[in-house]
Amino acid sequence: MLMIRTIVRPEKVHQVMQGLLEAGFPAVTKISVVGRGKQRGLRVGDVVYDEIPKEMLIVVVPDNDKDFVIRAIIENAKSSGEGKFGDGKIFISGVEEVYTISSGEKETEPLLATEKEA
Amino acid sequence: MKEIISVIRINKVNETKKALIDAGIPAFTATGRVMGRGKGQVHFDILKGAEAGHPEAIAQLGGAPRLVAKRILTIVVPDELCSMAIETIIKTNQTGNPGDGKIFVTPIVETIRVRTGEAGDEALN
Repeated sequence: MLMIRTIVRPEKVHQVMQGLLEAGFPAVTKISVVGRGKQRGLRVGDVVYDEIPKEMLIVVVPDNDKDFVIRAIIENAKSSGEGKFGDGKIFISGVEEVYTISSGEKETEPLLATEKEA
Repeated sequence: MKEIISVIRINKVNETKKALIDAGIPAFTATGRVMGRGKGQVHFDILKGAEAGHPEAIAQLGGAPRLVAKRILTIVVPDELCSMAIETIIKTNQTGNPGDGKIFVTPIVETIRVRTGEAGDEALN
């Protein structure tokens, strides 16, 4: 399984989460974060804002669905068609095990996939 | 080394911290409130009302699931403590209801203690 951590503009969060829901991935965790990118923040005259507020969305998906989910995120997170600086990044890392606390059970990939269809 | 990322109920955080200390894992990192949703739970009262034909209940069907507030507890443990830590978290957080949370286990390549510069499992204890 893979953990997809994506950093998006706060004003795009609703659209991205709606897109994920329609793509069949309802489970998401959202965190407010601040950060800067390789443009070193925003410069307005002499003032530099290098702690720009963003939202981080965390989704854990089966390996096979990676490209599909990434496409769904990118489609919804891009600003004004072409995309602009500050639209965000997507980071993907491996997850070895997943447990659901309420049942205490270890999840397996086919299990997650059937939930998606339901 | 493993990183155990658990998304748990806010009112269970203190209990979990105590349980982890008793289990010999005192170190953790926690976030403030995070918002999230699970696989989209069915509200049975609304469903029943909609079946009976109440217009207010039908109007509430089909919306996106509400976001629920949780906290994230992140702990990094050596491989041999991993399963014990997971058991502890499950035992303290399990109520049996949907919304108890999820635990994700991911590999960590290296840990370095900033104060001394030592690396590896020594940096964890």
